[in-house]
Amino acid sequence: MSYGWLFDPKRCIECRACEAACKQWNRVDIGWNVRYRLVRVWEAGTFPNPRTQALSMACNHCDNPLCLKVCPVKAIWRRDDGIVLIDQDRCVGCRFCTKFCPYDAPQFHAGRKKMEKCTMCADRIDQGLEPACSAVCPTGALKWGEWKQIESAGVARVENFSEPALTRPRIRFVNAPWTAQ
Amino acid sequence: MAVTRRDLLKLAGAAWTSGPLGALEPFFRPASPSAAAERKLITCCGICSPACGMVATVRDGVLTFLEGLPGDFSGGGKLCGKGAAGAGLLYDPDRLKYPMKRTNPKKGLEEDPGWVRISWEEALDTIAARFRAALDEFGQESLLFVTLPSPDIWLRFMNAIGVVNRIDHIDECFLTDRIVQRYTTGGKTWCNDFENAKYIVLFGWDILAKTKIVFANGIINAKDRGAKVVCFNPQYSATARFADEWHPIRPGSDLAVALAMINVILSENLFNQEFVDNYTNFRQYESQIREHFKRYTPEWAAGESDVPAHVIARIAREFGRRGPAIVPAHKKTLCANYANATQLVHAISILNILAGTIDRPGGRYFPRTIPIPGIDAIVPPPAYPARRGRRVDGKDKLPLVLEDGGGIFTTLADGLLKKYPGMIKAAFFNSYTILGFPQPARMAEALATIPFLAVMDFLPTDTALLADIVLPSTIYLEANDLIVRDYYAKQPQVVVRQAVVPPMFETRSIAWVALELGKRLAPDYFKNPDGTWINLSAVLDERTRRAGLANSFAEFREIGIVTREQPFVPRTTFNVPGGKCQIYVPQFQERGGEPLPSWKPKRELPSPEYPYYYLTFIPAVHRRNTTQNNRILNEMFPTNAASMHPSLAAKIGVKEGQRVRIRSRVGAIELPAHLTETLRPDCVLVAHGFGHRSRYLGAAGGKGVRDGDVIPDQTPEEMVAAGNFGGAACIMDAVVNVEAV
Repeated sequence: MSYGWLFDPKRCIECRACEAACKQWNRVDIGWNVRYRLVRVWEAGTFPNPRTQALSMACNHCDNPLCLKVCPVKAIWRRDDGIVLIDQDRCVGCRFCTKFCPYDAPQFHAGRKKMEKCTMCADRIDQGLEPACSAVCPTGALKWGEWKQIESAGVARVENFSEPALTRPRIRFVNAPWTAQ
Repeated sequence: MAVTRRDLLKLAGAAWTSGPLGALEPFFRPASPSAAAERKLITCCGICSPACGMVATVRDGVLTFLEGLPGDFSGGGKLCGKGAAGAGLLYDPDRLKYPMKRTNPKKGLEEDPGWVRISWEEALDTIAARFRAALDEFGQESLLFVTLPSPDIWLRFMNAIGVVNRIDHIDECFLTDRIVQRYTTGGKTWCNDFENAKYIVLFGWDILAKTKIVFANGIINAKDRGAKVVCFNPQYSATARFADEWHPIRPGSDLAVALAMINVILSENLFNQEFVDNYTNFRQYESQIREHFKRYTPEWAAGESDVPAHVIARIAREFGRRGPAIVPAHKKTLCANYANATQLVHAISILNILAGTIDRPGGRYFPRTIPIPGIDAIVPPPAYPARRGRRVDGKDKLPLVLEDGGGIFTTLADGLLKKYPGMIKAAFFNSYTILGFPQPARMAEALATIPFLAVMDFLPTDTALLADIVLPSTIYLEANDLIVRDYYAKQPQVVVRQAVVPPMFETRSIAWVALELGKRLAPDYFKNPDGTWINLSAVLDERTRRAGLANSFAEFREIGIVTREQPFVPRTTFNVPGGKCQIYVPQFQERGGEPLPSWKPKRELPSPEYPYYYLTFIPAVHRRNTTQNNRILNEMFPTNAASMHPSLAAKIGVKEGQRVRIRSRVGAIELPAHLTETLRPDCVLVAHGFGHRSRYLGAAGGKGVRDGDVIPDQTPEEMVAAGNFGGAACIMDAVVNVEAV
């Protein structure tokens, strides 16, 4: 079994519960701007016809993770269920992975000089729980589930989301008013 | 393959203890891998008023995770960012840890108070002595309490010593709505049945990014079920994005559109006839009502609001025809913004009454609750002393505000400095910072004139810097209480609030302080019939028993949540004079207001010297001015900027990130420009809650500017002259000049 994200930009109210829960569950260091998950609001159009789009983004645990392929010390590995992880003992903080990641998922911790990123809360998954971010999302904008079901539940691409063909990220979008042509 | 939590922590790399915030270290011990040491506790959030139910994971005495409580009406089993980040408040390394007194007699935001630690005994004795001396020599009017009227034992303490001057921030919040609802529908309600509405009109209010989950999901679910959502706001907010229609209305003109909607609904008889005939005073005053609204045509409103007349007329018709329709009213971003806010909430109330949805599916309804006896029912107090004295905020000039009982933030500095200088001899602030006032610098100056100031808070705020005595407060994660649902309450529901960890350091609750000060200043009010002191946990046990929740609070902690299934029976009589919803309100006229809402312009209009509207907002991840020091939230939204349209930026010659000066008739702020297409070109928008000066706030201190520095405060006379009889704070009513620095 493998997993993925389902995101509905229309339901996102920019409350950032996903970010807060992520930081708390994963004990992410505060004050270093290490963001396993980040809500960004994109803007386009001109007044009085502006458009905005909120995207909550973390590691998409790609089918073809370039980060893993480019890591010179083989610190990045993939579990059988597709979750991509960084071995902190091996990581040397060279930042190759983040240069090749289309989604800014690997984060450089300037204090520890290592890369960190979203683990999809693999420890929670192993306990039969869903990841912290989707567990708290108040409006159901961010969902998580079995990739088999999610893959066909939405579109692979929306505006402001990098071309998915290269890495095959495990995320789909629904209700996306800006669906790219 | 199995990966243990310990492995994962290693993989994920992080522990808070290794960060730059060394001060966090004493609070966090390494998470234990033993599941036996882990406890799950049901409690309620305390950041904002819906108080969403939460499940707290506590491991070896350390709060490690907060998530939503399934079955809870407020949060629906979920949390927002502020709620999920609660540990950042609890474990804030800057928390006030023990009582302190200042040693530097000079008071000011730039002065180091020279705090030294004292015992609770000394702190309470000092406060009691200073209050007693002021009462004996100068009477009740010489005390100022800037606190909410809660908890009930704190209210008893204030009543017992006869406090005349109690002020809270409600004038910047929902005061106008509470005053209007009291006479139109029978009382302020937070309950909006969005799920069953077919048409939702939102004036100004960014209801989604306010992140009250119960409202956000109500709107989202309504739209899923086919409702139409219309949003008026000078800014293209998160709500505007979600809405079917967004109209960039001119600031302060929402009233014009609301009046014109009433005009169309009345002239085309699009109201809910069954409801209006049976449950309102419409027929009794029909000719006056129809005559009054005749002048407010959509064509007229278009000239005031920049919303086209045909759009206003269409929205009014859709509102009247489409099915259950609702216009929610709420707090800042609507009720307190402009000098005409009282008229606006009255017009909104009339729209809801005409739609016939008061306490009906799809409308504003009154909460069905489990009554929980207060302390007065459990330990009845002796008669309170009569209260005499002058009102430092001048609310006696506004009879409806006086009757309501809230105080006025926006007139307080004027009262302290000009109207009644020297009258206040001793003051007590609970959890309010000067950032919450317009012209905070003037407020600081005013507070420095008070001979004795005690401040209770959980952080060393700017107000605490001015205090003679500082008391460290517990926060909601260290408190025990019973929380009654009142934001979504078609059936009664009560959820426990319990201390998920014991109070940190020497922090105490305001209820405990009420009891301790009460023992010293008004002992008769704090005794049981047998002469022993009131015991707070015994009172809580008794409240739990009498409400039928459990045999003791300890027992209810384990139960956590109680919901009573009952059918929703719509009201047929309303808690207003005559028992019918009032469109025409004669009592307003008798109390300095007007029976029907008339058009009033906002307080300040653009001029050649101040050509732009000045708007403020509270970011979704912050709660007023109280969460900026929460490291988790601070990292998400650390400071503020001046949002403006690129055309305005071009006019004054600034680019993204360059500094601008915003200047009003009362002050100026300097901050970076942020260019956006989401705002009217005649507006500038600044986030509230930043500009804390206290150097003891390690994350928020010195970051950003105070939005209030350019917002003029008020005098009661000015409010009366402007027809602001509901006491609106006019926090979005400034006009400014913007220039490059």
